[in-house]
Amino acid sequence: MSIVTKFSDLDLTKQYTYADYLLWQFSERVELIRGFIKKMSPAPSKTHQVISRKLTRYIDRYFEHKPCGFFVAPFDVRLKSNNNHQIITVVQPDLCIICDLDKLDERGCLGAPDLVIEILSPGNSKNEMGEKFRLYEENQVKEYWLVEPFEKTIFIYSLQNDKFIGLKPCIEGEQIASPLFPELNFEIEKIFES
Amino acid sequence: MSIVTKFSDLDLTKQYTYADYLLWQFSERIELLRGFIKKMSPAPSRRHQSISFNLTMKIGNMFNLKSCQVFIAPFDVRLPIPSAKKDNTVVQPDICIICDISKLDDHGCNGAPDLIVEILSPGNSKHDADTKFRLYEEAGVQEYWMVEPEEKLVFIYTLQNGIYIGLKPFSEGEIINSPRFPELKIEVEAIFLNV
Repeated sequence: MSIVTKFSDLDLTKQYTYADYLLWQFSERVELIRGFIKKMSPAPSKTHQVISRKLTRYIDRYFEHKPCGFFVAPFDVRLKSNNNHQIITVVQPDLCIICDLDKLDERGCLGAPDLVIEILSPGNSKNEMGEKFRLYEENQVKEYWLVEPFEKTIFIYSLQNDKFIGLKPCIEGEQIASPLFPELNFEIEKIFES
Repeated sequence: MSIVTKFSDLDLTKQYTYADYLLWQFSERIELLRGFIKKMSPAPSRRHQSISFNLTMKIGNMFNLKSCQVFIAPFDVRLPIPSAKKDNTVVQPDICIICDISKLDDHGCNGAPDLIVEILSPGNSKHDADTKFRLYEEAGVQEYWMVEPEEKLVFIYTLQNGIYIGLKPFSEGEIINSPRFPELKIEVEAIFLNV
């Protein structure tokens, strides 16, 4: 293993580990999903960033005096895989909340956050929906929000008996309704105001 | 009660029934939700129609020889809503599948379809993701699909103990497998072909 300074030197058909990941010094943003490299878009869209900022504002207000960590991307979350002691999955959720502070270290979070929030962007849905949904479920993330800018809707999935259960979508005119943090309160339409 | 020929003669704050609805002879497309009138967009977008066509072809092929019937909008479905007055909810789902043929009459379907598909339109998510979501849940529609054209996703909810439970959303590269109709398998890509 050695330091890699060019993204193009990586083999996208190969499986890597977190130990490899730590040696990558190129500017491209990547995630490692079960060992495979997923390139992220170099910069999120304006809409994505506006929504991220607004969510951050309301969520931060709620967690300011709570003993939970609240982080906004880029922030590395290392997830464990079944039957594998090595870490081969490193994701950067748009927002995440971690209430078990033992999971936090200087490099980020080791283990499943309590709440993960991803803001969908066209063309990126495939990755987010398919593999990440299963990864988060497998790692027992307690709640997963998919924020859909086009329909101005938040789809909430709540872990029940080890499975994500989709709730009624939260739409404009409603308040957020998180089973995990019932007192977390903001108007959905505020998130999507441009 | 008498025949109404102009949409503007209706009172949008009033509650109507299916008997009233049958006397309306204007060209506007409407739905009746718990008695209240909801105007529909005069013509769906091209994208909406392409998705509707793709899905209809796929679903239609599956159900060709089966006892269930597939209908596409405009097709009137009178939903039984226990918490509302009788006969005051009439919707026009984009696509619906009905297996209990005794629910069908010359006017459409009287009762809950087994499966309903709605194709979302921008700015209209409240209608499909909230109002109709709750109506379909209460009416006992076993399975509800919401098709999201922008992200090319399909959200499926199945009725369990009277509550809709959402499955993992289906995205491109995956194959939809309907819990209600296990023989119904559709590639997500095929739904968004030429969209």
